[in-house]
Amino acid sequence: MSNRSLITVVALLLLCSLLLVNSQHQARRLFIELERAQLRQRNLETEWDQLQYEQSTLAKHSRIDAIARTSLNMSVPGAARTQYLSVGAR
Amino acid sequence: MMRAPTRKAAARGLAFSASPVLAVKLPAWRSRLTLFLLFGAFVAVAVRAFWLQAMSTDFLQRQGAYRYARTLEIPAVRGKITDRFGEVMASSLPVKAIAAVPEEVEADQNKLRQLAQLLEMPLPELKKKLDSDRSFVYLKRQVEEKTAEQIAALDIKGIQTQKEYKRYYPSGQTAAHVLGFTNVEDIGQEGIERAQQKLLGGVTGSRRVIKDNIGRVIEDIGYIREPQDGTDLALSIDGKIQYIAFTELQKAVEQHHAKAGAIVVLDVKTGEVLAMANLPTYNPNTRQGLTGAQLRNRVMTDTYEPGSTLKPFTVALALERGMVTPTTVLDTPPKLSIGPASIGDSHGHAATMSVAQIIQQSSNVGTVRMAMKCEPREMWDMFTSVGFGQVPRSGFPGEVAGRLRPYKTWRPIEQATMSYGHGISVSLIQVARAYMIFARNGEMIPLSFLKLSQPPVPQRVISDRTAQQMRSMMEKVVGPGGTAPLAQVRGYRVAGKTGTAHKLEGGRYVNKYVASFVGFAPISDPRIIIAVMVDEPTAGGHFGGQVAAPVFSSVAASALRAMNVPPDASVENVIMPTQMIPESM
Repeated sequence: MSNRSLITVVALLLLCSLLLVNSQHQARRLFIELERAQLRQRNLETEWDQLQYEQSTLAKHSRIDAIARTSLNMSVPGAARTQYLSVGAR
Repeated sequence: MMRAPTRKAAARGLAFSASPVLAVKLPAWRSRLTLFLLFGAFVAVAVRAFWLQAMSTDFLQRQGAYRYARTLEIPAVRGKITDRFGEVMASSLPVKAIAAVPEEVEADQNKLRQLAQLLEMPLPELKKKLDSDRSFVYLKRQVEEKTAEQIAALDIKGIQTQKEYKRYYPSGQTAAHVLGFTNVEDIGQEGIERAQQKLLGGVTGSRRVIKDNIGRVIEDIGYIREPQDGTDLALSIDGKIQYIAFTELQKAVEQHHAKAGAIVVLDVKTGEVLAMANLPTYNPNTRQGLTGAQLRNRVMTDTYEPGSTLKPFTVALALERGMVTPTTVLDTPPKLSIGPASIGDSHGHAATMSVAQIIQQSSNVGTVRMAMKCEPREMWDMFTSVGFGQVPRSGFPGEVAGRLRPYKTWRPIEQATMSYGHGISVSLIQVARAYMIFARNGEMIPLSFLKLSQPPVPQRVISDRTAQQMRSMMEKVVGPGGTAPLAQVRGYRVAGKTGTAHKLEGGRYVNKYVASFVGFAPISDPRIIIAVMVDEPTAGGHFGGQVAAPVFSSVAASALRAMNVPPDASVENVIMPTQMIPESM
């Protein structure tokens, strides 16, 4: 083997190993990003659950009933004051 | 003095090659020994290398991995339970468990006092826990995130927090018996939480990772098992009707100073349970000091003697067999003797009554007259085909079959009393479901606590004609001259049957009552069945028509409005009689 081809091979080897180091680094960086995104996803899911829970706590029928009756002075309309409309009827 | 001549010789410049030392012949074994030792050393290195590489490689690799690889647990979240409209009824939210490694705990009095305060635990108790011999103790579980942060801020060595989940029930005591609850390990203990544990409970996942020196995850290695979150469950329960049913039942139980009460609302078209409530109840969010009475599910797991609410089945059988028609007039003496026993009514009535009047005024004598014309086997078949003595198979834990003895063992008096609901025990849900045959034109369908996408396949029990006749007779029960005018609903035609039964205590009937009412509405096209039971009412009457019927009326009115069911009667349909007819027991 001539000297020149030996040098080329060594240079290629060096280049490849540097690229390997680089891609390994990239992989780890991306992995950390993925981890963060997944954590964020989990946190958002938890928050969504929490908000749903809060919504049902606030929309509790007993609460709505109490507020409507006491602070808004509302009452159930009697059947005499209710008019029913049915679709398609005149 | 020995050295002197040698030194002299060197000084004299003796040539190296002439040195006499060179001429000395070493013994041959010495070089061989050196060679052997060197060779031996190489062999030792080779053996060692072989040992490490081939023999103990697993152990070493494990030790290596132990130093950089970690297995992380990925917790799965328990599924949510929602009502039929997607409103959350039970949800798991993250909380913290506060734990300690007693050996490592180092804290001064002041910090311990603060910790005790945050844990809402007396200081001596905390100290006792920290004094334990165990290597790990939970100080308190399911601590709210905020409190856990404050505890972490105290920065006490040996105290750690762990992530866990707590189950929250926004509807509180209203739907306690439907939902049930879970324990601290997130495993369902009662109700739907228990029945659907497999579906709701997730599978914890795990992953193998490499962590760097500051604990960040750098890379996944080896296996990853994805956590499987529990499935969300949509119940058949309608949150609004559940609330209405619960509050109306509560009012009745308070008003009549009753020991307990139960109510169940069924969807006639699909067999779904729209509401189920029990009193006394409990708050599933804070379960300290729960008593058995609070936990009891009187709809599903308790049986009682239903009394007159069973009469319609006897009458339906007589109609179905063509023995009578609604207008057939029967002799109804005040007392009827069957063997050594006699059966009577608690109120006077005409000496002859039509079948319709027998139902309307809930006459024991009249019902028994019809029952005695039937074969025991026919009656048994009727009761069995509407579900008495059978487990309802709704998938709810702890549901009971009740007691319906085989017809071969019936004595005539027993057949007679069973015809009006004594000597047989049933659960409230069984009675409610049995009324399907009247509300659904003679068909039965299975029950469901889960929201259904399509209605189940019905099974015919009695003919359409019999069901229609029963319906119009049962509508008269709530009219003037019936036992339950208080069950009337403005704008809707309703039908039902009252029940008032003496309670059995130690094998004898005592003067304690179970008042019940089972009915359905609207008559023109039934949508809901409501069964109400009030246990031991002690104030303001004890008849089903006085105690349970008003609950039916208000729940039916609100539920039908909530379901957007158009009225099938004018709003002036409610007629209150001046005098109520007490029913027979």
